[in-house]
Formats: sequence, structure tokens, C-alpha cells
Amino acid sequence: MKLDTTGMESAAPVWGSHNELVDGFSAAPSFELPNTTDFDGFQKEAIQMVKPAKGTTTLAFIFKEGVMVAADSRASMGGYISSQSVKKIIEINPYMLGTMAGGAADCQFWHRNLGIKCRLHELANKRRISVTGASKLLANILYSYRGMGLSVGTMIAGWDETGPGLYYVDNEGGRLKGMRFSVGSGSPYAYGVLDNGYRYDMSVEEAAELARRAIYHATFRDGASGGVASVYYVGPNGWKKLSGDDVGELHYRYYPVMPSTVEQEMAEVTGA
Amino acid sequence: MVGKNCFAIASDRRLGVQLQTIATDFQRISKIHDRVFLGLSGLATDAQTLYQRLVFRHKLYQLREERDMKPETFANLVSALLYEKRFGPYFCQPVIAGLGDEDKPFICTMDSIGAKELAKDFVVAGTASESLYGACESMFKEDMEPEELFETVSQALLSSVDRDCLSGWGGHVYVVTPTEVKERILKGRMD
Repeated sequence: MKLDTTGMESAAPVWGSHNELVDGFSAAPSFELPNTTDFDGFQKEAIQMVKPAKGTTTLAFIFKEGVMVAADSRASMGGYISSQSVKKIIEINPYMLGTMAGGAADCQFWHRNLGIKCRLHELANKRRISVTGASKLLANILYSYRGMGLSVGTMIAGWDETGPGLYYVDNEGGRLKGMRFSVGSGSPYAYGVLDNGYRYDMSVEEAAELARRAIYHATFRDGASGGVASVYYVGPNGWKKLSGDDVGELHYRYYPVMPSTVEQEMAEVTGA
Repeated sequence: MVGKNCFAIASDRRLGVQLQTIATDFQRISKIHDRVFLGLSGLATDAQTLYQRLVFRHKLYQLREERDMKPETFANLVSALLYEKRFGPYFCQPVIAGLGDEDKPFICTMDSIGAKELAKDFVVAGTASESLYGACESMFKEDMEPEELFETVSQALLSSVDRDCLSGWGGHVYVVTPTEVKERILKGRMD
């Protein structure tokens, strides 16, 4: 393939271009060509290689007084922010909460479905379902849909006869019991703050502040998290929403703007 | 954006790698000389390299011609430099703004291989460019004074980056008139 390079006279000198296609031209300038046959498509392939994961930040942890659940409120479609006010903490019933990460429709539908199944269990057995049981129901449903493209990364948090319970359930059918979880693209940042400040014996206010701070830091660092940081508390009497602070305002509360020292003062020059 | 014998050039302050934010004080707008400013969006390393090459070429020009480059000439230079790399391009979109002869403001933007887009009112570039087009279109008025121009540009920038995951974390606005350059930093949503 002989390229017509007669139109190219660039002022910048060309050196070190070992290109077998234009070896005939010794001193003439030439375009550097990539090592592929598809000149237009290879860049698109490179971009497709890395695709972002579930764009959100949710966290939950068990402490002495119960379970603390927190989440951001941003919904993103690729790079576009479709909403800054999405409810990511879903109320399954008055004593159990589920968090939403992944596909919004999937999470909303299956959590509501779980709520229905929990109520049916209550009516059939004359007692409330345990958190263990509820999370197992959801995990089994998601396992049966494995490989069909559901995207669900949720935490089931609640208070039952055995005390506080926290389970992580995802669309692969995985189900983990634990004391601290964070799910979503902002979870590494939230884990950093959460793991550092966590103690089992915290008061409700301290735990709420820790959860709020962790979500705030995730929204600061992660592009796909933002909006409002909601914090819920699950205690022996059920769940209660503690706060919903706009993250933009939280930043200036944690890091207020100090008047900076003026480095260069501009003076008026008359008759310039 | 163009005003009455003045122009404003603004950018956000985020430096990120896909979704992770690395820095919130990244300088995206650079001064070529007192009357020409260049903003580079896109890959940070390419923006830095391209800026350094352009400053080099402008300094050579200053030595040879003993004067500063006109903004129209500078735009041609940027376009030529970008097309040189047609099959392995710099991944950045420049926005060029300057005051030409008789203090007439000149603005233009380019795609990453040097296609110039001249405009009389405003030009935009970046991941939030679609939002920016909408915001600027609705807020722009002809012949704005520098103060009003600053307000308009700031509002357009902040409202557009608030709809983009990958932009924001503050704003940087330069308002340039024939006599002075005012640099201001905007307080924005840090999420």
C-alpha cells in the first residue's frame, strides 16, 4: 500500500520512524502508522476493554446498638447523571432494609418481591421471618436467574429474634454473612474510612457520623457516586431514617473554605 | 464565550482515571501569551505534551517575528500539529480563545485530529460537552460586559458539570479584556 505523501511538508523534523511501508522515502516526512490493519477501529477496541462496574456506593455495618445502613443517591448512565435523588435504601418491611446497587429496575423489583414473600411467610407461620431466611430466599431466586444478565448487588439488613443481621447477596447467587459490607464502584473509598473508624461499641450518633463520612468520601473520589448521603438505623423496634444530607454541602461542612492568603495583588495602572 | 470586546474561558478542576478522582486542582487552561488562552480537555498526558509543544512553537515564532501570534494563526498551528498525528492522535480537544486585531474576541474549538470549528458566540469541549451546548445556548446573550459574562459562563459550567459523572469538583474561570485578565475559582459540588 503506497501512500501519497507529496502533500506533507512539516517543519518538525522526523526521526526514528522505522516504518516498513515508507522505507523508500529516506528524508521525506511521513505519518507514523499503527501496527494494525484496521486504522479506524483499533482505538474503539481499546476503549471497550475497560468498562465501569456498578456505579454507586452503599454500606452497612453491625455494631452494639444495631445495624447502620447508608447509601448515596446518584444514578448514572455511562457518563451522564440521570438522577441525583434515587432512593437506594429499600424498605422491605418495618424491620428489614435492602440496599440497591447495580440495575435499578432489578433491585427494586426483586426487593419488592422479597417483601411479598416475607409477608406470606409471616401469615403462614404466625411469626416474622428471620434475616437469615429472607436473604436465603433472595439468594435462591437470584441463583435461579444466573447467567441471564440480572445486575443486583444488595445487602439485607434487619433485626430479628437473634438480634441484628446483615447479609450480602449478589446476582451470581452469592450470599455472605458479615459485620461490615460496602458495595459499588465507590466501595473501596468507603471501606477505607469505615474500616479505620469502626469500633463495635459506638453510640448511634457516632455510628451515623461514621456512615455519613464514609459515603461522603466515596462521593468525593468516585465519579459515579454523589447526590444525597442517606443514613438509616435498624434497631430492636425496626428501622428509622436518621439523615439525608446533600453531599455538596457536607464537603464544605467538613472542609470549610478558608480565605486564602493573597499571592499576587493586582494594582490599577493609570494611563497604561 | 464571547462578550463585548472581551472573552471568558472556563474549565472544571477534576483530574480522574475513569471513575476515580485523582486531583481536584488540575489546571486545564494555559496562557500562551497575554491575549491568547488555550484550554485542553481529554487525556491529561496528551494535554500536557501538546501544551509544551505549542509553547515551544510559539516561542520560536516570537523570536523569528518579534511579536506575539495572532489567535487565528495560533488556531491554524494547533490544527496542523494535531493532524500530523492523524493515525495515532493526541486524545485531547482544544479550546482556543484570544483577542485579535482591534481587540476583537476570537474563539474556536477542534476535535482531536484538528478539525477547526469557529463560532461567534461560544465553543465547548469535554465529556459534558452536550450539556454545555444546551446550557450555553439558553444562557448566551450578545455583547455582554465582563461581569455579566463571568456570571453566565460560571452558571453554564456549574450546571452542566453537575450532570456529568466525570467533570466538576470546582471551576476555573478566566475573563480577559484588552486591559486585564481576571482569574477566579468557583466553589462547586464536590461529588
